[in-house]
Amino acid sequence: MLLITCPHCGPRAQTEFSYERTVDSVVQPGAAPAEAMARLFTRANPRGLDDEIWRHTFGCRAWLVLTRHRMTHAITAIRAAGPEALP
Amino acid sequence: MNGPRRGGAAGAIRFTFDGRALLARPGDTLAAALLANGIGLVARSFKYHRPRGIMAAGVEEPNALVTVGAGGREEPNTRATDLFVYDGMVARSQNRWPSLAFDAGSVLGLAAKALPAGFYYKTFFGSAKRWMFYEWFIRRAAGLGDAPTAADPDRFTQRAAFCDVLVVGAGPAGLSAALAAAEAGERVMLVEQDRILAPSLVRDPQDLDPAWAEATAARIGELGGRILLRTTAAGYWDDNLITVSQRLAEPGEPPAGGIAQRLWHVRAGRVILATGALERPLAFAHNDRPGVMLSQAVRTYVRRFGVVPGRRVVIAANNDDAYLTATALRDAGAEIVAVLDTRPVPAGATSGFPVHNDAMPLATKGARHHLREVSARVGGKVMHWRADLLAMSGGFTPVVHLHMQAGGAALEWDDASQSFLPGGARQNVVSVGSAASVAPVGPTPPPENPGKAFIDFQNDVSLGDVDLAWAEGYRSVEHLKRYTTLGMATDQGKTSNMAALGRLAEKQGVAIPEAGLTTFRPPYTPVTMGLLAGRTERDAGAHLRRLALFDVHQAKTPIWQPLGYWKRPRAYPQGGENLAEAALREARSVRTAVGMTDVSTLAKFEVSGPDAVQLLELVCATTVGKLAVGRGRYTFMLREDGLVFDDGTVWRLAENRYLLTSSTGGADRMAVHLSYVRQFLCPQLKVSVVNVQEHYAGIAVAGPTAKAVLAGLIGEEVPRHMSAVGASIAGSPVMVLAASYSGERAFEIYAEASLAEPVWNACEAAVTAQGGSLYGMEAMEFLRIEKGHLVVGGEVDGRLTPHDLALDKMLNKAGGYIGAAGLARPGLTAPGRKQLVGLEAIAGTIPEGAMLVTALGQPAGGHVTAAARRVLESGSIALGQLVDGFARHGEELVATSPTRSQSAAVRVVAPHFYDTAGERYRD
Amino acid sequence: MTDITITALPAAPLHVFEIWSNPAVVANRFEAALGSSLPVLGAALQLSAMRLIRYEPTVWLAEGDPAGLAEILGADGSLTAIGGGVVRVRLGGPGWRSLLMEGGVFDAESADFAAGSSAATLIDHVNVRLYVESDDACLAYVPLSYARDMIHFWTVAAKSLV
Repeated sequence: MLLITCPHCGPRAQTEFSYERTVDSVVQPGAAPAEAMARLFTRANPRGLDDEIWRHTFGCRAWLVLTRHRMTHAITAIRAAGPEALP
Repeated sequence: MNGPRRGGAAGAIRFTFDGRALLARPGDTLAAALLANGIGLVARSFKYHRPRGIMAAGVEEPNALVTVGAGGREEPNTRATDLFVYDGMVARSQNRWPSLAFDAGSVLGLAAKALPAGFYYKTFFGSAKRWMFYEWFIRRAAGLGDAPTAADPDRFTQRAAFCDVLVVGAGPAGLSAALAAAEAGERVMLVEQDRILAPSLVRDPQDLDPAWAEATAARIGELGGRILLRTTAAGYWDDNLITVSQRLAEPGEPPAGGIAQRLWHVRAGRVILATGALERPLAFAHNDRPGVMLSQAVRTYVRRFGVVPGRRVVIAANNDDAYLTATALRDAGAEIVAVLDTRPVPAGATSGFPVHNDAMPLATKGARHHLREVSARVGGKVMHWRADLLAMSGGFTPVVHLHMQAGGAALEWDDASQSFLPGGARQNVVSVGSAASVAPVGPTPPPENPGKAFIDFQNDVSLGDVDLAWAEGYRSVEHLKRYTTLGMATDQGKTSNMAALGRLAEKQGVAIPEAGLTTFRPPYTPVTMGLLAGRTERDAGAHLRRLALFDVHQAKTPIWQPLGYWKRPRAYPQGGENLAEAALREARSVRTAVGMTDVSTLAKFEVSGPDAVQLLELVCATTVGKLAVGRGRYTFMLREDGLVFDDGTVWRLAENRYLLTSSTGGADRMAVHLSYVRQFLCPQLKVSVVNVQEHYAGIAVAGPTAKAVLAGLIGEEVPRHMSAVGASIAGSPVMVLAASYSGERAFEIYAEASLAEPVWNACEAAVTAQGGSLYGMEAMEFLRIEKGHLVVGGEVDGRLTPHDLALDKMLNKAGGYIGAAGLARPGLTAPGRKQLVGLEAIAGTIPEGAMLVTALGQPAGGHVTAAARRVLESGSIALGQLVDGFARHGEELVATSPTRSQSAAVRVVAPHFYDTAGERYRD
Repeated sequence: MTDITITALPAAPLHVFEIWSNPAVVANRFEAALGSSLPVLGAALQLSAMRLIRYEPTVWLAEGDPAGLAEILGADGSLTAIGGGVVRVRLGGPGWRSLLMEGGVFDAESADFAAGSSAATLIDHVNVRLYVESDDACLAYVPLSYARDMIHFWTVAAKSLV
């Protein structure tokens, strides 16, 4: 069970989080159909670092973008995504 | 038998073994108590049913497996060395019939040549029929204990713990490390699998006074450290999470506090492994005979338990530690008839024992299932001794299991001790004490008869089997393991892996570290399933989500229906009605008078802010912005790929405040989706989305007299269809939304959940007064199927587009909603897609979930999503998905369910059977 | 084990206080009106008639009388009632810290989780929000549908904490 350091809550157990999708799968509203479907159905799926979107579902509920190594699970970067917030 | 004996009082703890009433002293393990009672034969081996005794004193014991406890508390395959006797304990041996002493299975030992390693694999070649025949016997012949069939009456619990330092093992090294950390002000946790602190000091008090251990533990406790005995660190996971299993009762023992075991999830800043080292047996013919034991184990029995396991002792070893055993035995009154030292040169302190150098045991002989004679090769010659105990030591293996489980961990080969020592690791873990280094050993000559020299005692694997695997072409250590099954038993090769590796390396012609290692996997020692399951009170694990009005419904004894984690009333049978009768009565009540139902579980979101419409028109594929204040509409939502995944309603409650409702089953999914859109895709929007699913309880009142019922309740004009008003019922503020799922004039009343009961009661009184009744999910199905109203998870199964569901006219022509891009794909408008249809039975009853075929035997072109009978008339109807369904109205098909042997002839029709003009719910 | 009391409190008004624009401006308005700053994540603010607990980056839970809050938000946020769906459970007695470790993954035994602290976490598979009232009491905000099961879970667990 990974220990994930949420930018808002500090280190928390993986079970408080949900993995949602990869960054490369995100479809922006208004994207042209061909581009949208290409992103939706194509994954880089590297055997190494990848950018992923997680959510601290059972904590602060914030959406997070993190870089995780798919083999070692090491999380090398993590940041919150969302509306501008007070400290 | 000659052999084990204990002087002094017999002990006051009563237990039975194989039905025999025996006594034990407090602190005895079952193994110690059996030895003290002169019982040396305790088991029959897995495959050959060879008589086996107790070999070790700890968790590495491969032979002495027993079943302990009764009924649901029974625990098979329990090591007698890892089980502390309690009053009333019932233990029995395993894998023998009719008895341990006279086991019919021992004939298999005679057939051993036909049953080497890999024989089972070879049985798969040849006739399947023959295999089924001898499989029956194999199943019965081999094995360990039987799993209990009764439910476990005990509870298990799981708990988290955090510490700066987790120390595994409360021996001298572990206690010292824990004390140092506690004195440095760190949060310390110390776990020890044994029942006492520092068992090695009890065994060898010459090293250090055991009283030191108690004093140190007390000091650690004073400094706030947490010490748990009878607690095993079972698994080492990511980011220094260690799963730790704590025994609050012995296996089979009724727990005092109701909880048998506790699983700790420990998150440690750093981990110190003081897990010690395990002794290795020596490999020689018939080294598995009762009376052949590990040397340090013998010392433990003598010093800790006061049991002398034999009178005439031969000691065989390749190291100095065995001489301590010789001393302990001599001090306890046993006679050391020979010390067989494999090393060519005499060791330091031989202290008057009859030592033979350059000596290696050859074989043992026995009588009445116990050791009687030991033969050895001494400097080339063969010698024999009469003996009832052979204490052997092939050196020590540091316990590196947790270190290796930590991942990215290395082992370093130490030639002097012929063992692997923990090296670096990716996680913050360090090994101390004998887990980090052990004493050097001398040579270990290979056995002259490898076929009877056992290395994996529990799986009955000999050194000859290793040779056989090699001869049959299995080269890698992974293949060796799986072909012979060595290291795969419940002891996970604790006393066998090194010997096998040594032999393999020899065959491969490499040094041992190059032969490779198999993977170390949790748990370190077996963990009972109940511990992993956790709480055993709930059925099937998941929490029940209770309606706010649960007690109100329960009082009416409805038939409950599980829906995800919820339970909703399916029907309220009266006067002996069955489900179908109750549901029909309830549905008719709605059609002819009025009915009332609980719709609280619907997903509900309050969306407020100037950008509310912008958000809603992204998520919903219909317009939303055209709604006037106080008006609502039906809507549906698409996935990014254009397929419909949910539907619901949206209401404009105020200028910048909307209520979105959607399906119960998709509620959590919709919450995530809305959050994703709002927070991640569009963080700049001025909008707030709040999940109010549980804040509001919902009551639907539907029927031709519903309007009158509502008017009476709220005392004012009722909203027209698809309008919303705020009102008051029984003194509580409510929202009344005029929407109809049933097809009759209907209202959904939303009240704050904490105020729902008086509102419900008022509604029920009013409904009953009008001759109406409650209705449940089953009746709701009848009603909505007649109307062709969709259910998410039924007609809406994530594979149909709005066009397939005949919803495309409602699509927001401005586009821009999520899914618009997906809809543009040509495949989603191509012919041959499944489309929503209605079905009416030509004869018979349409089976739900049936396939739609042109004729029996033809491939399915669709399926029935929901089936029911008409409410006011007779006749079986259904909704379904059918390839090119829109163009096939009038066609006759068969709805067939081969698995239930049900079929009905059906006609494809439009998916509405009642009030197609929609006049019933408009004023 | 010391006695732990588990009490479901009567329903109280609970609102989501959410800021969607100009957070710094709203913060100033808040301070000007009420004399204290909006609490940070993991903390809370206790006023006379109301308590504000910060659970999400842009969301506070307002417990009690929300008077004045809508004006502070102005056009930069909104209030939404959620109290009906939440049961407040008070865990009383010094053993509440150990009790929260049962079936949990959060360090309630940490000295940092002191009076005035808040945290949202998972206990026995349920999303629970916590607020430390004092050394001797902690409030748990439990979803209504799970409340009965959670109270039962805690009651049983409290009997055998060792």
